Amino acid sequence: MAKVIRSTVLPAPIEVVWDVLRDFNGHDRWHPAVASSEIERGRDADRVGSIRRFKLTDGSELREQLLTLSDAETAYSYCLFDTPIPLFNYVSHLRLMPVTDSDHTFWEWEGRFDTPADQHDAMVRLVGTDIYEAGFGAIRTHLGLES
Amino acid sequence: MARVFVSSVINAEASAVWERIRDFNAMPKWHPRIRDSRIEEGLPSDKIGCIRNFHLQNGDMIREQLVGMSDYDLFCSYVMLEGPMPLWDYMATLRLTPVTDGGRTFAEWSAEFSCDPDKETDLTNGIATNVFKGGFDALKRHFGG
Repeated sequence: MAKVIRSTVLPAPIEVVWDVLRDFNGHDRWHPAVASSEIERGRDADRVGSIRRFKLTDGSELREQLLTLSDAETAYSYCLFDTPIPLFNYVSHLRLMPVTDSDHTFWEWEGRFDTPADQHDAMVRLVGTDIYEAGFGAIRTHLGLES
Repeated sequence: MARVFVSSVINAEASAVWERIRDFNAMPKWHPRIRDSRIEEGLPSDKIGCIRNFHLQNGDMIREQLVGMSDYDLFCSYVMLEGPMPLWDYMATLRLTPVTDGGRTFAEWSAEFSCDPDKETDLTNGIATNVFKGGFDALKRHFGG
C-alpha cells in the first residue's frame, strides 16, 4: 500500500477555498489534468455516493465516487473505479483547516493505493506531483493568489 | 460546551517543532506565560497519566494531566485538574501537521470546556489569545517566522 501526502498553505480564507474545492464536479474548471467532468445519472455533485466521470487532457477517462463530504470538517474523500493507469484501491482524502492567526487556509491532500512494485515510484510521483501539487498551483492561479 | 480553536503556520519542519514542545514538562522553556513546571511524583513527562504542576507568570497554579500523546501523529492531549479559571471539564489538544510545500508546520491548539454562559466569551478569548496564540507567537519567534 502506497501513501502520498501533500499539503500547502493558501493565502485566502477557508470559505473562499472551500467554495471552489467542495464542488465534486468542478475540477475541470481548475485542475490542468482534467478536460471535462460530469456526474453520472444527473445526480447532484454533493450527494454522497455520486460518481464523477473525468476526461483527462490526454484523452483517457476515469470514474471516481464521492465517499465522504463534510461542510463541518471542510473535507471530502473519494475512491477511483475505472482508470487507465495502475492505481488500485485508490482512496483520497482532502481536507482544509483554517489558519486562524492569518486567515489563511491549510490544505492537505492524501492518497492511498496499491500498485505493482515496478510502478510504485512513478505512481507516487504522478499522484503527489502531477495531481496534488499541480492542483495546489492550479487553485492558486484560479483564485488569483500569489504562488 | 465552549470551544476554542487557534492555528498557525510555523516556519520549521514539524519534527523540529515537535522536539521543542513534546516534553509535557517543558512549557517554561518555550511558552512565555509559564514560569515553572514539574511533573508530580517524579514520573516521566511522556507517561500517559502524568500530571504537570506549573505556575503562570502571575503566580497562579495549574495542574494538568496528560491523557494522550503521539510521536507518529504529533499531538498531545491533556485535561485540567485544577486552576484559577471558572471552568470545568477542560480538555485541550495541541497538534502539528507537516506542510510538505516548503517544510513548514501547521500547528493547531484546541480546547473544549464547560463554564457559566456569561463567562464563556471572556474565557474563550483569554485562552485563545494568551495561552494558544501566545504560545504559537513564541514558537514563530523562536523559529524565525
